[in-house]
Amino acid sequence: MKGAKHRIFPLHYDPSKKLFHIVVKLSDAPGSYSSVLDILRTRVNLIGTSTYTLSDGTAIFSGFSEALSARETGEGIRKLILGSKAAIEATVHEGSQGLLLDTFHDGFAVDSEAYVLLRRGDLAHMFDRVSRILGSGGDALLYEEGRAMSQWNVESLAKKFGIERFREKGSILYRMMSTQGWGDVEGRLGPGKGEFTMVVSDCSECSGEGTPRKECSFMRGYFAGSAYAIHGREFDVKETKCGFKGGKACEFRLTPQ
Amino acid sequence: MRFRSICFLILLQIALLVLMTHTPLSILGYALLPSTVILESRADFESMANDLNKRGLKAHAPAAIVGRSGVKHEFAFALIPDAGKAQVVVDTELSVKEVDEMKVLKFYVKVYDVNPKKAILCVTPKLGARASTLAKEYGITVLEDDVPRNLISMAEKVVNETLGAASK
Repeated sequence: MKGAKHRIFPLHYDPSKKLFHIVVKLSDAPGSYSSVLDILRTRVNLIGTSTYTLSDGTAIFSGFSEALSARETGEGIRKLILGSKAAIEATVHEGSQGLLLDTFHDGFAVDSEAYVLLRRGDLAHMFDRVSRILGSGGDALLYEEGRAMSQWNVESLAKKFGIERFREKGSILYRMMSTQGWGDVEGRLGPGKGEFTMVVSDCSECSGEGTPRKECSFMRGYFAGSAYAIHGREFDVKETKCGFKGGKACEFRLTPQ
Repeated sequence: MRFRSICFLILLQIALLVLMTHTPLSILGYALLPSTVILESRADFESMANDLNKRGLKAHAPAAIVGRSGVKHEFAFALIPDAGKAQVVVDTELSVKEVDEMKVLKFYVKVYDVNPKKAILCVTPKLGARASTLAKEYGITVLEDDVPRNLISMAEKVVNETLGAASK
C-alpha cells in the first residue's frame, strides 16, 4: 500500500454541505467506539476522524462530518449520541457558511509534546523573506537555524529513546522527518568512505514558487546538525541537487570533517 | 581609460544632482545615482586592493568569501591573509537618504558567518539612529560621509590601522 500525507482536520471548507464537528468522550468499555460509529452512520457522513485515549482510561472521539439531511441539527446529533451508554459526554459544533473549525482542541500533541502546525507554503514564504531581506546572509542564517533546530531535536529525542538507536538505525530520523512533513526523506551510505547521501523528494523548503533562492540552506543545516548530534562529529554538508535548480529531488552529501 | 570612465561617472553624478529638482527627471536622478556611485566606489576599492597587494598583502575587491555555513558572501573589499580566513571585510551602503537598520543587519549576518577581525560598513550619507545603535551593538565600524569617494580613503585608513595593530 502506497504511503500518503496524513490528513488532519483543524478545519474543513465545503460551502455545499452542512458540516458538524462531533466530539464524544467514550467510556473504557469494549466496543464503545464502534457503537458510536454505528449510531452516527444513519445521520452523518464522517469525513475525518481521530480517537485517542486519556490518562483516566476513557477516550476521545473527534469527527468532522457532513449531514445526510439538510434539516439536521447539532443538538439532534448530540441527543442521539448521548442515548448510547458508550458516550459519557458529547459536544457538536456546526460549521458556518461552509467553514467548519475545530473549537474543541487547543493545539497538537505528539507523544505528550506540544507541536505547532503550519502550512508549508507559509514556511517557504518565511524562508524566502529572510533570504530577500538579508541576501546571502539570509541563507547563512537559515543554515544556522536548521542546524540548531535539528541538533536540539535529536539531542532531546536521544534523551528519551537513547542515542544508540539513532546511530544503529539512521532511518528513524528520516522516518520522523517524513512524517512531520519536511519531505520524503531517504538516506544511504556513500558515495565516499564515511559519507552519507540524503535524498529529499517533495522537499518542503523548495516547494514555494517565484522565489529567487537557489539552495535549501535550512535543510542543509538540518542534516549538519542532526549528523553532529548523532555521530558526535562535524560533517560538511553540500547540496548536490536541488528543486530550486529544477531537480526532481534535493540531494545532500554529508562528508565527515 | 579608467581615469576617463571615472571622470565620466563623476560628471554624470554632478549632472544628476543638478537635475534633481521637482521634475520627472529628479525621479530618474534618484534612480541612477546609487548605481553610479556604486560603480565609482567599486573602481576605487579595486585601486585600494591593488595598492595593498603591491605591499604583499592579499586584498580582494570585490571579494567572495565562503562562510562557516558554506554560503558564499560578496563584499566590496576584503583582506584575506590566510586561505579563506578574512581579516577585514568592507561593504558599502550608498543611499540618498539615511540608511536603515535592515542594511546593518544584512551586513552583520554575512560578517557573523565569515567571522573577520574587523568589519567596516561605509555609508553615504549616514546611518539612521536605530541603525547606528545596532551597528555599535554588533561591533561594526561605521564610516559615514556625504561624498562616497571620501569613504575609500577613510576605509583605507582603518584597514591600515587594523594591520598596524595586528603586526604589533
